[in-house]
Amino acid sequence: MKQRIKQRRGWWLTLTVVILGLLAVGLTRVNAGWYRQTVAVVTHVQRENRTTTTDEFRNRDVSTTQRVTLRVLNHRQRGRVYHVKNVYTASGAMDQAYRRGNQVFIRIPSDHHSSVAIQGLKRDTALAFVVWLAAALLLLIMRFSGLMALLSVGLNAALFYAAIQIDLMTNGNHVYLLFGVLAIVFAALTLWLVLGWGRQMAVTFGATMAGTLCALVISLTVFALTHERGVTYESMQYVTQVPRPLFLVETILGSLGAVMDESTDIVASLFQLKRERPDIENGQVFKSGIQIGRSIMGPLINVLFLIFMAETFAMTLLYLRNGNNWGYTFTMNMSLGMVQSLISGIGIVLAIPVASWLASRLMPKEVAA
Amino acid sequence: MNTITVLGLVLFLLMTLVGGKTGATAFLSLIFNFGLLFFAVVLISWGFPPMGVTLVIGMIILAFTIFFGEDNELAAKPAYIAALIVMVGLILVIFPVEHWIMAQGFSLEDSEDLEGMSLSIGVSFVGVAVTEAVLSTLGAIAEAGIAIAAGLSEIIAQHPQVTTKRLYIDGISIGKQIIGTTFNTLFFGFFGGFLALFIWFASLHYSFGSVINNKIFVGEVLMILFSLIGVILTVPVTTWVMTLEHRKAGNEPKR
Repeated sequence: MKQRIKQRRGWWLTLTVVILGLLAVGLTRVNAGWYRQTVAVVTHVQRENRTTTTDEFRNRDVSTTQRVTLRVLNHRQRGRVYHVKNVYTASGAMDQAYRRGNQVFIRIPSDHHSSVAIQGLKRDTALAFVVWLAAALLLLIMRFSGLMALLSVGLNAALFYAAIQIDLMTNGNHVYLLFGVLAIVFAALTLWLVLGWGRQMAVTFGATMAGTLCALVISLTVFALTHERGVTYESMQYVTQVPRPLFLVETILGSLGAVMDESTDIVASLFQLKRERPDIENGQVFKSGIQIGRSIMGPLINVLFLIFMAETFAMTLLYLRNGNNWGYTFTMNMSLGMVQSLISGIGIVLAIPVASWLASRLMPKEVAA
Repeated sequence: MNTITVLGLVLFLLMTLVGGKTGATAFLSLIFNFGLLFFAVVLISWGFPPMGVTLVIGMIILAFTIFFGEDNELAAKPAYIAALIVMVGLILVIFPVEHWIMAQGFSLEDSEDLEGMSLSIGVSFVGVAVTEAVLSTLGAIAEAGIAIAAGLSEIIAQHPQVTTKRLYIDGISIGKQIIGTTFNTLFFGFFGGFLALFIWFASLHYSFGSVINNKIFVGEVLMILFSLIGVILTVPVTTWVMTLEHRKAGNEPKR
């Protein structure tokens, strides 16, 4: 009976959080007052003319001009109406058509000679909606543990933010040290939230660190032996600091979650095994660990690989349509993602024997049930 | 030799060493998947509609990942069916969201890389954004599907008389663990991949408001959220497909 009441209360709590979340999403439609930038809503759109364009690579596109009527939603000009011309292409690489009801950021020049310009779409409502959808599903299926997962992300994001601020204060001179420490803190914090303090957490943490470190050492050796031929740091995007350290740090952080994921699985299964068969030998524990790891590693490497590669799609497509050959296109867009995937893959594979070995050595004689 | 080739060889050796035949086939599926991804871009650049390319290439990638990664036929088939259902479900979410949020193509931050390029290439970048989002979720969906199907088929093998309801509860409880750890994989993958962009935002003093409305940032966050939604959906769907298969197997006369 008590159990049922508790369960029902859990249900109501989840439902309340989900509904409040939806209200918060709705709130982003009317939050123009929170922005420093000027926000306006599109009240009317009229298409004026369209022309077909052909570029030097014989790509045909349609370019359309529309007259957009905007009503300002915040600050001093609130309520003022402006008419703006917007040109967009069918491909929409850097531009877009605006529709009635869209909210946009605009710049109103202080002098009256230049014209008002749309700076971009206000995307917070749509983003909040998808965040809400993911969080609601997470809570519905996982209840309390879903909340813990969200907490872990929140704490890690705060740490990440702090690390970036420190990086800027030190002008990016201590990238390795700073983000190395950050990786250790990330792993410790995340595993602590998932597993709590204890031997299981210590073993998992050890395996994660050792696996990642081995992968780094092997990769740097390969880098040195091959003189980093084909690693096109110059094609790295959004770089404001020396690219090489940034790339290595990105790779380590990127693979950290996957290696933790895998170590957690292996170590948890081995502790479970020990619980069920307390008299099992160390050698057998090690073998079982390898067996478990074997089936996880392939799909896990694929997860990171698809994430790293899919990100490069738009630019790759642009290169191909601008008359570049496949080899050059690959080198300029996909090679860094490829190196990143391979290093992560090496870390993921190495973590298997390390986790199995550590678990077989450090497991207590008796595992409490 | 080229760095990528050597790293690839090292990975192949390690995977074979640790994983034996399973490891070698898993490496093979990676190579295939790379080929398919590149082929997907090439197809789109030849003018094939992004949506069709996404569906076909997505189905093949899932098949390679699941059937090469899992030897147990009893687990692989339901995992594949479930993954297909989730992929279609995700497309139904991703397609309208990408058309609503318009985070396609490039942003001002990309200007330097775009110098001298023609942007009017006649291919809808919103469509490409859908392709990107869908394909990037497939790895996570396949992983979760395999894990749940393998766990449940193990339970069925040990207790053939297990009830459908019990199986459902077990499926969700396996799923909870998977979601918890996959969350980390996705999240760190995201942090890692976009460290440079975040430093850019911070050093140019972007306000919180401009970051959460920024085209690139929004596009990236969306990819992670879609993957997460995909993994969450995979849990009940795979369990459901497994219970269907179990019931069907139970009704058949014993040979």
